[in-house]
Amino acid sequence: MCGIVGYVGERMAVDVLLDGLKRLEYRGYDSVGVAIASEELKLFKDKGELSKIEAQIPRWEGKMGIGHTRWATCGRPSKNNAHPFIDCTGRIVLVHNGIIENHIPLRKQLEDEGHVFTSETDTEVLVHLMERYYKGDAYAALMAALSQVLGTYAVAAMVEGDDRIVVARKENPLVVGLGVGENMVASDVTALLNLTNRVLYLLEGESAIVTAGGVTLFDAEGNKVRRDPTTVTWTVDDAEKGGFEHFMLKEIYEQPAAIHNSLLGSLDEIYAGAVIPDMEINSVKLVACGSSSHAAMVGKYIIEAMARLPTTVELASEYRYSPGTGEGPLTILVTQSGETADTLAAAREARQRGCRTLAVTNLVGSTISREADHVFYTNAGPEISVAATKSYITQLMAMYLLGLRLGTMRQTLDRTEVRNLSTELRSMPRYVSGVLDRASEIEEAVNMLVPAHHVFYLGRNINYPTMLEGALKLKEISYIHAEGYAAGELKHGPLALLDATTPVVAACVNDHTREKMLGNISEVAARDSPVLGIGVEGDRELEAITDAMISVPKVPSILSPVPLTVVLQLIAYYVAKKRGCSIDRPRNLAKSVTVE
Amino acid sequence: MKAVILAAGEGKRLRPFTMSRPKGMITVGNRPILEYIVEALVSNGVKDIIMVVGYRRDTIMLHFQDGKKFDASIEYVIQEKPLGTAHALSLAGPRLNGEDFLIVAGDNMIDAQLITDLLAKRSGLTMVVAESESPSKYGVVKMEGDRIVGLVEKPEIQIGDIINTGIYYFPHKMVELFNMPAFRKELGITQLLSGMVSEVEIRAVKSIGRWNDAVYPWDLLNVNTQALDFTGQGVKGTVETGAVLKGPVNVGAGTRIRSGCYIEGPVTIGEGCDIGPNVVILPSTSIGNGVQIEPFSFISHCLIMGNAIIGSHTHLSRSVIGDGVRAKAGLFVPSDSCIVRAEREVFQLSDVGAHIGQDTVIGSRVVISPGTVVGAGCRIEDGVRVSGNLENKSVVV
Repeated sequence: MCGIVGYVGERMAVDVLLDGLKRLEYRGYDSVGVAIASEELKLFKDKGELSKIEAQIPRWEGKMGIGHTRWATCGRPSKNNAHPFIDCTGRIVLVHNGIIENHIPLRKQLEDEGHVFTSETDTEVLVHLMERYYKGDAYAALMAALSQVLGTYAVAAMVEGDDRIVVARKENPLVVGLGVGENMVASDVTALLNLTNRVLYLLEGESAIVTAGGVTLFDAEGNKVRRDPTTVTWTVDDAEKGGFEHFMLKEIYEQPAAIHNSLLGSLDEIYAGAVIPDMEINSVKLVACGSSSHAAMVGKYIIEAMARLPTTVELASEYRYSPGTGEGPLTILVTQSGETADTLAAAREARQRGCRTLAVTNLVGSTISREADHVFYTNAGPEISVAATKSYITQLMAMYLLGLRLGTMRQTLDRTEVRNLSTELRSMPRYVSGVLDRASEIEEAVNMLVPAHHVFYLGRNINYPTMLEGALKLKEISYIHAEGYAAGELKHGPLALLDATTPVVAACVNDHTREKMLGNISEVAARDSPVLGIGVEGDRELEAITDAMISVPKVPSILSPVPLTVVLQLIAYYVAKKRGCSIDRPRNLAKSVTVE
Repeated sequence: MKAVILAAGEGKRLRPFTMSRPKGMITVGNRPILEYIVEALVSNGVKDIIMVVGYRRDTIMLHFQDGKKFDASIEYVIQEKPLGTAHALSLAGPRLNGEDFLIVAGDNMIDAQLITDLLAKRSGLTMVVAESESPSKYGVVKMEGDRIVGLVEKPEIQIGDIINTGIYYFPHKMVELFNMPAFRKELGITQLLSGMVSEVEIRAVKSIGRWNDAVYPWDLLNVNTQALDFTGQGVKGTVETGAVLKGPVNVGAGTRIRSGCYIEGPVTIGEGCDIGPNVVILPSTSIGNGVQIEPFSFISHCLIMGNAIIGSHTHLSRSVIGDGVRAKAGLFVPSDSCIVRAEREVFQLSDVGAHIGQDTVIGSRVVISPGTVVGAGCRIEDGVRVSGNLENKSVVV
């Protein structure tokens, strides 16, 4: 999981690369490096965040270069292990995102041939392999090198005296941006948007030769490919902080608009029967990782309630290795980036098992959008903060829309119910705005969590997975150990861990589990744990048994995860801020994880 | 040249419509007032903009970001406490790099002509003035030739009909005015200047451009009408067969206008709305994003903000409906002449409906009298009649 960029054209390459790397930092940020083709190859790399070492990077003249921002997988973060890597002759240089599985035997071979390794990484074998095969053609050398490796890669390389950047991908994203008299490559389209919005996504197994004048694309068999570029509608300022202190806060505040966009047209399409084709269906499986898996778990409650379909949720990394018995005809894969390696592998597995696949993703043109049978775009816009916020809330909207569609298809919802539910969905941006209007109350209420080492998040029913997501948010950005629990499970274990130093966040909305939740909260309070309650405005009973209460607008209980989620995001944000954490880029984490 | 937009204040007199946004972010013609201001500056080539923001600045920063979408470059300066426009300007001072600059109030509806005239006729410290039919709401200007000799905020007696638009040209050498200790007090730029009209030459430029300021909720409809002149015509959504669109009507993406609707422009309808069947919408009406209007409703000259849900058989005339208002069937809001009280003042209005704050929930068969101001988040039960002023979160049974 790393970010790579390359530029060839008329500008100072180093400036273009650094700008691109800044936009890719969400993919990794433990070390940075650039190589510039000047008179001779110039190379700079070091450990640390780009903002900290940017000033040390020399502004070399040179109109071609490659750069890298790293999230360590093989070899700890260090200057030596940073990319780009250079061969023994100092003429070939390369950056890589992915994993070379057979790097140990290859390394031994190459060392026996006399190559000198300077790092602990798997990537370095690639550059020495290129050196072994280089006979004046950088592209041929890269292809020959890649033919020797097992594993996954997005790779960009260049050779001294050659005006071409050669690139290839396998199971890691890579995109070429087409400018006028200049071209660029990157792991993610956000890095290119300053230059162009015309892009070519490299498909699985493809490779390319990129010069200032043009791009030649090859398929896995080495045949030339002609393909029209895609126009990206995002603009650069979609990905700017625009006055906000953190991307996460900006993205939290963007949620009413993101919800509006995710519904736009979809509500109409649901009536028209789009999204899922009419099919005989008796169960649904949802597969995802991380926050997306929590959205999928909420989706289970929604689909079961609206469409009366047995629904199961599996983690992508587990699903892949499961025996796959009794699979239904529809597998829904949820991934923000559309590039998450485990979810992609699960999609392939599901198709092999004969299931129809539906991808719920945010990224148009992402790998999963091309590989799944059907795609539902969440239209959240680019999300930069590592902690998912607006992408998660729009995944929830996708779950409601899918529930509506399946319910209409199976006639478990009648016209009036569909109409009422869609009216409620239209009001969702307002309910979220209602929570945002109270941000300062939440900022105040979180004080009890700031000094904690452990926090428990309790919920029931549809808000059990919502509290799992709330706990994950806190873990991710504030580094407090937080656990989400179904409140009914409290007495089967975690109660033993509660004391006055372990605060509990409890969601208690107006649904059929409210009485039980109130009981659970009293049990917690009896163990002296400070309780932060989240409940419907004016719930005096809840207020009376909690140490602090945050109120949410009253909504039908099936929709309660939406405003509740926003409260939980703000709780995590303010706790992390008060603890002085690096909110947008938490340690050890990266946004979309393209390693398995 | 740079411009400073002063957008830190709330605009309290427009409550409840400033509950969760500053006045400049209230939408008219489905775009915030501030956007018209930015557009007027940009079309005159003034693209370097410093916005002084404060109250609910998140809404401004989210909308404008770094300004690229509006072909401008926008920087933000934060005024944490409402200490007046003079203080706001002194905060922006260090970003001006000794250049001449413009000052524009961030809450008035302006057109590009005002800026064009100012740029063409400026000489020294210059203020744009306009004629007004109701000068007593604004700052009135006394002039000798084109020199300003007096400035009176909201005069109680009639002293003239030329008013200050809050648009200024400041030569950079005048900036030292703003380094005076007066800035540590809560002062407006106008107050400050009115104290120095005898020593400092302030020129007035009278513009033929249009200027409009909503001071009270009932002024919003006028501003909305002006805004609708800027909105073009175009249908991005779906208009079903049997719906009639006359004159300039704008329909946003993902919106469905169902059969039997009759819509007479100028009307603008946002994205993702569901209108009809059989709804009548008359000029000059703006309808925000995600609004639902149910069958057999009649809407005339209204400003309806985002995500409002208007039940069937509703009659709404000359009214302002805030974001997320939800009304069940049969809401009846006629317009008529009436007397309204605000800030211990009495206003005689000739033709006005109701003003309903955001997220208010209204039961069925409710009648709201002309001139009523309903606060935000109120609950009005079935079948009641409402009039006067309702505080936020009132419950009417």
